[in-house]
Amino acid sequence: MVEMTRRKLLGTAAAGVAASALVGVPALAATRIRHYWWGNPERDKRTFAVIDLFQKANPGIEVSGETIGWGDYWTKMATQTAGRNMADLVQMDYRYLFEYVRRGALKPLDEYIGKSLMIQDFDKGPIDGGRVDGKLYALNIGANSQVMVYNTRVFQEAGVDADLINWTWDDFAKACEKISAKSGGKVKGADDLALMIEVFESWVRQNGREFYDANGKVAATVDDVATFWQFWADLRKKDVVRSKDKTVILDVPIAESGIAVGDTAMSQFWSNQLVGIQAVSKDKIGAAMVPHKAGGKPGQYIKPSMFMSLSRDVKDPASAIAYMNAWVNDPAITKVLGLERGIPVSQKIRDQLAPGLSEVEKLSINYFTAIQNKVGGLPLPAPKGAGEVRDAFMRTGSDVVLARTSVKDAAASFIDDAQAIIDRAQ
Amino acid sequence: MNRFIARNGPAYAFLLPWFLGFFLLALGPILASLYLSFTRYDMVAEPRWVGFDNYVYMFTRDRRFWKALNVTFTYVALAVPARLIMALVVAMLLDKGLRTIGVYRAIFYLPSLLGSSIAIAILWRQLFAADGVVNRVLADFGIPSHAWITDPNTSIYTLVLLAMWQFGSPMLIFLAGLRSIPRDLYEAAEIDGTPKWRQFLRITLPLLAPVIFFNLVLQTIEAFKTFSSAFIISNGSGAPADSLLFYTVYLFNEAFKFFRMGYASALAWVLLIIIAVFTGIAFLTSKYWVHYENERD
Amino acid sequence: MKTSAIKSGHPLSEASKLDFEIDEAARMAHVLRLKRERQQRVGRLLKHAFLIGFSAIMLYPLLWLLSSSVKPEDEIFSTLSLWPSQFMWGNYVKGWYALPQSFTVFTINSVIVTSLSVVGNLISCSFAAYAFARLTFTGRSFFFALMMMTLMIPYHVVLIPQYVQFLKLGWVDTYLPLVVPRFLASDAFFIFLMVQFFRQLPKELDEAAMIDGCSPFKIYWSIILPLSLPAMGTAAIFSLIWVWEDFLAPLIYLNDIKSYTVPLALRLFLDQEGQSAYGQMFAMSVLSLVPVVLFFVLFQKLIVRGIATSGMK
Repeated sequence: MVEMTRRKLLGTAAAGVAASALVGVPALAATRIRHYWWGNPERDKRTFAVIDLFQKANPGIEVSGETIGWGDYWTKMATQTAGRNMADLVQMDYRYLFEYVRRGALKPLDEYIGKSLMIQDFDKGPIDGGRVDGKLYALNIGANSQVMVYNTRVFQEAGVDADLINWTWDDFAKACEKISAKSGGKVKGADDLALMIEVFESWVRQNGREFYDANGKVAATVDDVATFWQFWADLRKKDVVRSKDKTVILDVPIAESGIAVGDTAMSQFWSNQLVGIQAVSKDKIGAAMVPHKAGGKPGQYIKPSMFMSLSRDVKDPASAIAYMNAWVNDPAITKVLGLERGIPVSQKIRDQLAPGLSEVEKLSINYFTAIQNKVGGLPLPAPKGAGEVRDAFMRTGSDVVLARTSVKDAAASFIDDAQAIIDRAQ
Repeated sequence: MNRFIARNGPAYAFLLPWFLGFFLLALGPILASLYLSFTRYDMVAEPRWVGFDNYVYMFTRDRRFWKALNVTFTYVALAVPARLIMALVVAMLLDKGLRTIGVYRAIFYLPSLLGSSIAIAILWRQLFAADGVVNRVLADFGIPSHAWITDPNTSIYTLVLLAMWQFGSPMLIFLAGLRSIPRDLYEAAEIDGTPKWRQFLRITLPLLAPVIFFNLVLQTIEAFKTFSSAFIISNGSGAPADSLLFYTVYLFNEAFKFFRMGYASALAWVLLIIIAVFTGIAFLTSKYWVHYENERD
Repeated sequence: MKTSAIKSGHPLSEASKLDFEIDEAARMAHVLRLKRERQQRVGRLLKHAFLIGFSAIMLYPLLWLLSSSVKPEDEIFSTLSLWPSQFMWGNYVKGWYALPQSFTVFTINSVIVTSLSVVGNLISCSFAAYAFARLTFTGRSFFFALMMMTLMIPYHVVLIPQYVQFLKLGWVDTYLPLVVPRFLASDAFFIFLMVQFFRQLPKELDEAAMIDGCSPFKIYWSIILPLSLPAMGTAAIFSLIWVWEDFLAPLIYLNDIKSYTVPLALRLFLDQEGQSAYGQMFAMSVLSLVPVVLFFVLFQKLIVRGIATSGMK
């Protein structure tokens, strides 16, 4: 009898869910907007809480939250774009922004600024990160910058005493040697960053050039590439950076990076990733800048970590902009969001958040404040095909790391390939 | 006309679901991809007709296309026979005699259940790393350690091993095939005193031929289309040094990472033709070694 | 007694000699049988030893997964030991409720999609396979080739046209794109698999049934299907496992998190670029294997039984 009822109950419940899922539930609210983001359990929880808050304050608008992990996000996004069924609001990444804007998948926000989108008093630099060809296509919902994450325990034990904000590549190399010597080679100084085009970009800017010029041509020179790869080749030869066997597996998740597994004392990341790195590291982490070139120009810059953009397929722009505006201005909402997506670009919001920060969040804020006047301006927007150039850099660089070609030949062939890729993509 | 219906009616009735599915749902997208292969299509703007440009570029200028073909053919040539032999041997071991057989069957299927999950990617990179478990075991036999997965010369073998180790599905099909062979044939052979190896050649192989054929064709097709394992183990890049640049990984990146869906479609149709040629050859030669009970006179 | 006679060297009468020879033959047979039994026992032992050793290799990943699901987050990547320094059983409970919807919802969704799909696959594919394997009709080879072609095309390039098609039908964000094709024999793998098995049944079966006046459906239902239990069992198992683990189609077609299936939900744990929850993800992966393994154990009986034991032929 008991068995019977339970089975019956389950059956009805399942059938109900099945029926509603099969036909799709009709929207009850007056208007419905879709918000699509890549996330993780923590971010998803916060974002759905924000959606609840917004819906309570705006009973006429129903927000459908759609989320998936980073790895699958772009496949789904491309498919929806092709079907002209993008979500009204999509989360954007700096790397992909230009690819989408230049292909016409996003709408500019300029006409709403000061009317329904109140962002006039936000930090100008980070907001401009969302500008392409003079128009604002993406609202910065968190800023970040590169960071050389280090293991504080190992640094202390090895007696590394460099000024970690103002240090040079020379200091960096010396620190690597010190750490490796101290640990008897068990812990190497740093991950081998020869394949990180982001670090290379800083290197190029320190040499006084941009990677891409205003015409979208590759402006970095063969010499830039060769000196960069040679710098890492020397460290590799001294055996003070992570083994080449770990380097040539590309784009490994944070959890497999040298600092997380304890192979190395330093890895390169973005400042909004500090919380994630601390979660998988045994020791307390610290934040250093990407080393500078002695007497060179600033290389590193502050960029948006994440954007929110209005898609070309938006149905009800007014509601979508209202939601976007609440995201960056409504104190109840910004409190829920915290620093999870990056550092808010409004001083007002930063002040509101300051009291309730965790230790690693403070680390990220302090770091952010410390680098403010050490960084350069934003680079020019990248041309179409920049994503593929990034892949080519890692591919050609792998051959250097594995000593299958000479640094010189590889550098020349990379610059040729890069220009060819950009030309093909136009 | 009536005779046509009388002759074909029942068959077409049974095929109705398939007809509906094929002509209403499957055919359209297939033809669309054929059309797209003659266009430049970035998935945002409308596709633009470019004639045979994609195909010409592929064969004349795209070095990575040849690299991808090379990787894929190497893999097919190694992984398909290795996996099939493994599956057949284990299936035959499991077919007879042992009472605890069910437990083994489940255990041997486990690796295939894990498929190409993230767990497998992490595990595989740990197993074959320079300081990994495999090297520790090998060290006991005095074999020097080697970074199997990151050396471009050996990385593909770790994927062949993965394929061998996930032999569950062909094994199960072999097992089903073996179980469909009437036992009395073996009993009769036993009474005649036919040795085991002759029973294998005279009874098992010929009666299993249709299933062997199935596994051969399907595993070949699947191997050509291998995507997930290579994709997750190389974090989607085909690294190190393009040694895991499987054809479909290349295709996927061209389509979804670099916004060249038109070119990717052209790549897909070239692969389709390659697979079709191999499958066609298999079907043609099958006349000589696969015989079906319902065609016997 | 007889052996002692030989040993003692007494002359033997003709009769007792014959008696001895018969006896000797029986003895030899007995020894041979013993020897064979011993060989078989040794053989069986060897076989078991081999299978057990082999099982260890096959089990390693599962043990690894189990251990990773209870390891502290920072140990998953940094130690090779299968024994965690402390057991984080909480991953199982936390993981179940870590996402905006609990795994109860995802599991129900997966069960709905999977059970419908398996039923659809078995019915529609066995229909098509029966036609291809045992009926003659115009265009058989042509349609068969078309069906094989659907197996060969890389899935990623039909993804977008397919999406556009289902979007126009208004099916996106429902289970229809996942379930309907399976009732329309979309998975050629199963058709081909069943064809190979159906063709192995002797044609006298249908001929006899035909003479008795059986309709093709009757033949399909009461002769072909019952005799193809191993094949149907195999198809059921594969179909269940593949749909249960299917990830790409749900990713593309489902938007609302309330309708996510288990594999899709598992992807919500990982953020390559930020914070991940590997331990919880592994814990949920372990749980997601449970129903599949149970089903496997139940259905493999179908494969083991076969026509061999069903008394036909």
